[in-house]
Amino acid sequence: TEWSVSLWGKRRAFTEHVEKLAELVSEKTGGEFTLNISYGGLSKNKENLDGISIGAFEMAQFCAGYHRDKNPSITVLELPFLGVSSLEQEVELSMAVYQHPAVQKDLARWNATLLMPSPLPQYNLVGVGDAPSTLADFEGLSVRATGGIGKAMETVGAVPTSMSASEVRQAMDSGIVKAVAFAPHAHMSFGTIENGTWWTTNLNPGTVNCPVVVNTDALNDLSDEHRAALLESVDEALAYYVEFYNSKTMAAWGPALEERGIAQVTFSVGAVTAFKEAAAAPAAAAWIEENTKRGLPAQELYDLVTGMIAKGE
Amino acid sequence: MAGSSLVLSDDSTLSKIDTSLYKMERVLALLSGLAVFSLMVLAVFSVGGRNLFNTPLAGYVDWIEQAMPLIAFMGVAYTQRDGGHIRMDMLVGALKGRSLYAVEFLTTLAILALMLLLVWGSWAHFARSFDFGAPMWSRDSSMDIALPLWPAKLLAPVAFGVLCLRLGLQLWAYARAFFHNDETPVAVPLVADAATQAAMEAEHVSGHDT
Amino acid sequence: MEPIEIGLVVSGGLLVLVVLGMRVAFAAGLAGMVGLIWIFWAKFGYDPSRFGKALTIAVKTAGQVPHSKVSSQALSLIPTFILIGYLAYYAGLTKALFEAAKRWLAWVPGGLAVSTVFATAGFAAVSGASVATSAVFARIAIPEMLAIGYDKRFAAGVVAAGGTLASLIPPSAILVIYAIIVEQDVGKLLLAGFIPGAFSAVIYGILIIGMALTIKGFGPAVSGFTWKERFVSLPPALPILFVVVTIIFFVYNPFGGDAWGTPTEGGAIGAFVVFLMALYRGMRWAELKDALLETAKLSVMIFTIIWGVLIYVRFLGFADLPGAFSDWITSLTMSPMLILIMILLAYAVLGMFMDAIGMLLLTLPVVYPAVMALNGGEFVSAADSTFGMSGPMCAIWFGILVVKMAEFCLITPPIGLNCFVVAGVRDDLSVQDVFKGVTPFFIADAVTIALLVAFPAIVLWLPGQV
Ligand code: NA
Ligand code: NA
Repeated sequence: TEWSVSLWGKRRAFTEHVEKLAELVSEKTGGEFTLNISYGGLSKNKENLDGISIGAFEMAQFCAGYHRDKNPSITVLELPFLGVSSLEQEVELSMAVYQHPAVQKDLARWNATLLMPSPLPQYNLVGVGDAPSTLADFEGLSVRATGGIGKAMETVGAVPTSMSASEVRQAMDSGIVKAVAFAPHAHMSFGTIENGTWWTTNLNPGTVNCPVVVNTDALNDLSDEHRAALLESVDEALAYYVEFYNSKTMAAWGPALEERGIAQVTFSVGAVTAFKEAAAAPAAAAWIEENTKRGLPAQELYDLVTGMIAKGE
Repeated sequence: MAGSSLVLSDDSTLSKIDTSLYKMERVLALLSGLAVFSLMVLAVFSVGGRNLFNTPLAGYVDWIEQAMPLIAFMGVAYTQRDGGHIRMDMLVGALKGRSLYAVEFLTTLAILALMLLLVWGSWAHFARSFDFGAPMWSRDSSMDIALPLWPAKLLAPVAFGVLCLRLGLQLWAYARAFFHNDETPVAVPLVADAATQAAMEAEHVSGHDT
Repeated sequence: MEPIEIGLVVSGGLLVLVVLGMRVAFAAGLAGMVGLIWIFWAKFGYDPSRFGKALTIAVKTAGQVPHSKVSSQALSLIPTFILIGYLAYYAGLTKALFEAAKRWLAWVPGGLAVSTVFATAGFAAVSGASVATSAVFARIAIPEMLAIGYDKRFAAGVVAAGGTLASLIPPSAILVIYAIIVEQDVGKLLLAGFIPGAFSAVIYGILIIGMALTIKGFGPAVSGFTWKERFVSLPPALPILFVVVTIIFFVYNPFGGDAWGTPTEGGAIGAFVVFLMALYRGMRWAELKDALLETAKLSVMIFTIIWGVLIYVRFLGFADLPGAFSDWITSLTMSPMLILIMILLAYAVLGMFMDAIGMLLLTLPVVYPAVMALNGGEFVSAADSTFGMSGPMCAIWFGILVVKMAEFCLITPPIGLNCFVVAGVRDDLSVQDVFKGVTPFFIADAVTIALLVAFPAIVLWLPGQV
């Protein structure tokens, strides 16, 4: 059996779990079941879910925030200030949400089964100009932040401004945005640290959720042996991903900041709490209200996530 | 590569249908032109808002992405009617009479086959983004301000549907020209010699200056 | 059959359809559609009972492409760049430019022809399309050259060649298309076109002066303009400068401060400035409507090629042809520079029969990864690379080379669109006349391309400053 896998961009920290999964599956089945990974050749990233639904390929990665109406249930994981502190915790939360029947039903509309997350650290800001030291400094700051993080920034008077990731560097050069919210690997690959002068270490406004899904029919059509090989490799692939991200990307991140003389801005506990209070509760309330209307058990999903985080502390 | 060419008309039914369809196609094409114009205005607001009032236009990119299908699709039949989609005319330029009409009929039929499949495919693309049960009927939305995408996606099958009508009409015209062995068939772009054709094209790129 | 073989067979079929005279956009779309059906059915082992399923998957996959691919912010530059050109015409910028160039430059040997080249270069700074530029100047410059005794074929050749400058000097629709296909920074590419475009204009100028000095009765210099007349000619042409400066400032601030926005916005603001001028010069709804319809038509033509070809490219993705071609190119034992030159020559041959945009869209998905691999990969540093430049710089350099080749093809027989257009404007000129008149410019273009290959710094210096 050969599966086509639709990813995008280039091979990077963000795709290492899929690469690892392909390696493991092929190994376990003696090369009988292979994953043929394509970076952008099979679909546009925002249409990977469509491709799964059509049956054009069997596995794909996407981010929930690209199209919240396609996958409202998992956007709960993109709410601002959930307080997730590690990739390992992000994995646990995602897997728990992915197992929830309402979430599975939501993705079943696309004939998709959620396989694993691509956990990313908090989207802290890299910016140019004067570094903010208090929340008041965010007033009027133009920032490239999407989804829940953008909404959160708005609550403290910042101005979310959108553009595609590839235009971000240019927008920063040109002063369209003064700050950009990305995960560290994206700050490095989209070059925001090349002209940035400061980085927020502990604003921790939230992250995006980017699952890897498989076509449900294709999964069911697999022989029991192949299906087992696939499903049993997930944990190892995720462990590899987390290890890779922590040891390679995060290890490169500190030195990359120091090399460029980027100031590391740390907010006081009070400031972060104030921000969180201003942004988190209204965003959560709005999310719950909107998604209850869609017929999702929104409160239950929210409680599931926040409950797990509270217990983890 | 041929651009615009001559389309003749007479008082036949075919020609009458052609001219009335052409009127509709022209309105759609003008919509596409107005969408280009609105892109320009949108940028002025976005830049002005950002630099003068420090309030960037929310969802600037989302709006641009909504306008693009209008620009890209609405004029597709208008352009086909005038023979404006480029092609290599070395071979068809050398053909005359029935052999020409036969080749034109076949390539037009091939385009119709493609476009019928694409009406199906782009409709399915629309249908996946549309859900009567969902807020704003939306099952797919833009990234920043969550505009429903189904209206923009619907433009493709609509514009392609109009193109199918146009192609059907051209097939009829080529078939008629073939049976009558017309010298000057109506309702289809004529393959003029290269110079006449270029004159048409030059006229259309330089506007009113003739 | 292996997917790659299907890829090759379908690509051959596409070539046949194009030669048969099927409109390129639809020929590519059809090839892609048939290819996708074939690939999916092959995946089902050609089981007749599953043909319907394969067809459905293929049609739905292809059906995503038109909406998904045109809904891009970067592509919105193309219609705005086209609109600027039409509005500039109504704003009277074309005539003003030619007049100013004449008064300032026509005193050199071959002066009026030299003036024409620089006026086209100036107009190139507001026009995004070569063909439009040639068409406009055929009306304005040729009559004046004929009036003072230029050979009519040569006069036509100057205008045909001068028009090609519009695609190198920003704004340029074709550079945007290149940037989008290869996913590189649009702003840097546009910036990179400036010097090669100006450089081409200078080479054209030198060629004309050389011809004027050696050929008897070539066409006299035009002198006798007073300084007053010269300065009076400047204000009407100044808006061009204003538009150019606006667009530059939106791409990159030469004084080191913030640029004013993105290239997308720069193009739109440039169009708005020209729009206001055209209003001031008396453009009203009737003229605006014409400009909008023509913009729509040209945009639709380009976008149809884009989505049509991208259906084919989607199929190539499933067939994995680009990967295979890239592997093949890098496995060759020839010198990489020789391979690059062969690729450029292949473009020269292909360009004889195809138009520029179609050619780039069809070939780049396969050729570009191969060239990048040849240089050592997308992320290679200048030190480790084959051609002595980093991955992103190689993408820019190759882009300018390919676009210059594509422009070269606009003036080469048998299908040189610019020459067709010039002949079309002038009743007294046949296409053969124009092709004959433009021949000297082949030499100028060959020299330019050779210099751009030999000295990449001509291309890369300016984007390197950003
Ligand atoms: Na230009
Ligand atoms: Na040519």
